[in-house]
Amino acid sequence: MSEDVRERTQEEKADRERRKIKSAGAMRELMTKYYLEAKGAEGTDRHIAWITSGAPVEPLIAFDVIPVYPENHGAMCGAAHMNVELCEVAEGRGFSRDLCSYARGDIGSAITKGGPIGGLPRPTFLVACNNICNTVFKWYEELARFFEVPLFIFDTPFVRGDLPEHLAAYSVRQMHEYVSFLEEMTAKEYDEARFMDVAAKSLFASALWKEVLACNEHRPAPMTCFDAFILMAPIVTLRGTQEVVDFYQGVLEEMKRRIEEGVGILPSERYRLLWDNIPVWYEMRNLGKLFMELETCLVADTYTSAWTFEGVDAEKPLESMARIYTEVYLNIDLERMADKIESLATRFGVDGMIMHSNRSCKPYSLGQYDLAKEFTRRTGKPALIIEADHTDSRWYDRAQIETRIRDFVENLLLPQT
Amino acid sequence: MCGDGYAAVAERRAMEVKTIVDECLELWRDPYPHLARLREEGERPVGVFCSYTPEEILHAAGLTPVRLMGAVRSLTHADAHLQAYCCSLARTDLDMALAGDLDYLEGAVFVQTCDTMMRLSDIWRRNTAFPYHGDLVLPIRMGEEVSLPFLEEEVKRFRRGVEEFAGQRIWDDALEESVHVYNRNRRLAERLYKARASGAIDGLSAMACLLAGFWMRREKHNEMLHELLERIEGAGAAAGEERVPLLVSGSVCTTPDLFELILELGADVVDDDLCCGHRYFDAFVDESSSPEEALAKRMWERVNCPAKHQCIEDRFQRLVRQVMDSGAKGVVFYLQSFCEPHLFDLPYLRQRLQEELEVPSLVLESELQSFSRGQLRTRLQAFIETITGV
Ligand code: SF4
Ligand code: SF4
Repeated sequence: MSEDVRERTQEEKADRERRKIKSAGAMRELMTKYYLEAKGAEGTDRHIAWITSGAPVEPLIAFDVIPVYPENHGAMCGAAHMNVELCEVAEGRGFSRDLCSYARGDIGSAITKGGPIGGLPRPTFLVACNNICNTVFKWYEELARFFEVPLFIFDTPFVRGDLPEHLAAYSVRQMHEYVSFLEEMTAKEYDEARFMDVAAKSLFASALWKEVLACNEHRPAPMTCFDAFILMAPIVTLRGTQEVVDFYQGVLEEMKRRIEEGVGILPSERYRLLWDNIPVWYEMRNLGKLFMELETCLVADTYTSAWTFEGVDAEKPLESMARIYTEVYLNIDLERMADKIESLATRFGVDGMIMHSNRSCKPYSLGQYDLAKEFTRRTGKPALIIEADHTDSRWYDRAQIETRIRDFVENLLLPQT
Repeated sequence: MCGDGYAAVAERRAMEVKTIVDECLELWRDPYPHLARLREEGERPVGVFCSYTPEEILHAAGLTPVRLMGAVRSLTHADAHLQAYCCSLARTDLDMALAGDLDYLEGAVFVQTCDTMMRLSDIWRRNTAFPYHGDLVLPIRMGEEVSLPFLEEEVKRFRRGVEEFAGQRIWDDALEESVHVYNRNRRLAERLYKARASGAIDGLSAMACLLAGFWMRREKHNEMLHELLERIEGAGAAAGEERVPLLVSGSVCTTPDLFELILELGADVVDDDLCCGHRYFDAFVDESSSPEEALAKRMWERVNCPAKHQCIEDRFQRLVRQVMDSGAKGVVFYLQSFCEPHLFDLPYLRQRLQEELEVPSLVLESELQSFSRGQLRTRLQAFIETITGV
C-alpha cells in the first residue's frame, strides 16, 4: 500500500468514527440490562406483563411490573434474520402467512423459545391496546390461551376528526379499570404519588425524544431515521423510568454537539427523504448502504414520532393519558395522517417520501396510495411506494426494490406533474 | 278423489316454493341488477357491509339498507387505492363503486370491525361522490359494562348523521316501527332455520331465502318468508338419500357456489356460523326500552364476530353447541383471504374441534378476483370423502 492510500484509508476510518453515533453503545447497554432483568425475573415473584407498543405502560412501571414488548422483540428477531424461522413454527400450527409477521414470529418464539435471546420471559398477565391495530387483540387472545394468563384489553375505538367526548370518556373509564386490574394482579394498592412521578418522567423523556428527532431539521442531519428506529427502543419500552430520561439527555447532547460541529450522519447529504411505516428490519444494513451511496438521508419518519406525547395535564394524569393513547397516529383518519405527513415534510425540508407498504400491517399501509397522492398534491414532491414486510423477508425482492429506489432518487430533481 | 286433491295441493305448494327459492337464488347469484331496479322503483338504497349496522335507523329514515358482499370480478379501479393484501370484499366492493357500477346507491355505511374496513371508509369517502357516507365506530369489548355507554352514544351519533342526510328527524315511533319489522324478520329467520333443521328445506334454499332479505325492503322479505314458511313448515323431511351434515363457519358467501357444491357432492349445510347467516339475526332488539339504547344493547350482547372481543373462549363454546345441536359431522371454514380476525381464530378452533369432538374441518379461502369453482369442488369432495370414509 502506498503512503497516501494508507493515509486516505486512515482518514476515512477516522471520519467514519467521527460520524458514528456514540449513544448507540449506551442504548445497547440499557437494553441489555433491561432484557437481562426481565429474563431473570422469570419464575421469581416479580410480575411480568407482555404489552403492545402503543399501550399505556406508565401504570405498569408505577406498579413495579416489568413490561415486555413482543413487537420490540420481533424487530430484534427480524434484524437478526431469525424471524422467518419463528414464523414458520406458527405457520406449522395453522397460522396463515397473511397474518402480521410480528404476531406469527412471537407465537413461534413462545412455542420454541427461539430467537437471539432465547425467547421472552413468561408473562404473568397481558395488556393489549388496539390503538395501533386490531391485530394485537387477536394475537394477545392467542397468547392468553397459550400461557393461560389474564388479558387486559385497553380498547381505543378509531378517531374520526376530533376526539369525541364519549370516546374520551370510554378511554378514561378503562384507564381506571386498568389500574384496578393491576391492583388485583399485583395485590398492591394504586399509589397516586408514584404514578404522578412515573407520568412526569415519561413525559419528560418523550419531550426529550421529540427534541432529539427535531435535531434532524438541521442540515446536514446528525442522524437518519434508521438510527432513530434503533434509538427509540427505550422510549417505547421503558418510558417512565429515570434511566430513560438520563439516556435521552445524553442522546440530545450528542445530537446538539454534532450540529455544532457540523457532523452529519452521511459523508455527503444531497437529498432528504421522509420514511413512512415500520422499518424493513432485516434489510436495514443494505438499505442504509444504498442510501449512503445515493447521498440521500432519511431525515424523518411517521413512526418514531408516535412516542412524543403532548398535552398531558399534570393534575389529571390518568385522564389525559387516556386521551393521548386514543389519538395516536395509526388510530386517526387519513386526513389527519396527511396533515401530519405534510407537517413533517415542511419541518424537515424533504425532497420526497418513501412509503413502505408493509403487508403485515394493514392500518399503517392501507390508504398509502391515497396518502402518497395527497402528499404530492400538497407539497409538490414525489413519493415512492415499495412493497415489503417488516420481518418476513420471504416477501422481499431486493433487486427490484433497490432499482426502484435508485430510479426514484435519480429523478428527484425532475419537476413533479 | 280426496287423495288426488292432496297431491294436487302438495304439488302446487312445491311449485310455489320452488318459484320463491329460484327467485332468491337468482338474487344471490347477482343482486346488483336488481338493486339498480330498486332505485328505478323509487327506493333509496344505502350499501351496508356489516351485520353490526343498525339497519333499523336507515329503514326508519325511508332508506333501504342493502348488503354489499363483493362480486366475482377482475379489478379495474381498486388496485390504485388498495394493496393486494387485503380482502376481496373490500377490493371488489370498492372497485364497483369506483367503476360507477353502484351509482344507484345513496351511499354506504362503514362499521368499524377490522382494520381494512376502517381504512376502506376513508378511501371510499375520498374517491367517490355518493351523497351519503355513514360511519359507526364500535368498541371491540362487547358485552362488558365499560363499553355500553360509548356504544349507545355512537348509535345516537349515527342516527343524527342519517337525519342530517335525510334532512328531517327520524321520529321515535318510526324507529320503533322499524325495530318491529326487523325483529319480525329475525323471528322468521329463526323459523326458517328450524324448518331446515327438520329437513323441510335444504341448506342451499334456506340460505338463499335468508340472504334475499339483504336486497329488498324488509317488509317484503317478511311477507316472502311468511309465504314460504306457510308452505314448508310441518311438511316433514323430503325423502331422499342421507346427506353428510356440515356446518359452515366464516364471514360471507358472496355466491351460492359453496352451498350448491355441498349439495351436489351429497352433503348439506345443517347450520352455520356466518355473518350473513346465523350471526346476522341472532338476538332481538328489546322493544320495551328506548330504541337507540335497545339497538346498542343488541349489538353488544349478540353473538360476537371474530373482529370483536367478548371472552376468549366463547366462540369455541358456541361452535361446540352448534355442532352438537345440528349433528354436523364436519366444519367448513369459509373465509376471505387476508381476513385477520377470522384467520387468527382458525388454529385453536380447528385443533379443539378435532381433539375434543373429533370433528374434522376444512379451510377454504375465497378471493373473488380469482374465484375458481373447480378448485372449491375438488377440495370439498376430498373433505366429504374423509368424513364418509369412502
Ligand atoms: S399489525 Fe401493524 S401495528 Fe399491529 S402489531 Fe402488526 S405491525 Fe404492529
Ligand atoms: S372479510 Fe375480514 S378483513 Fe374483510 S371486511 Fe370482513 S372482517 Fe374485514
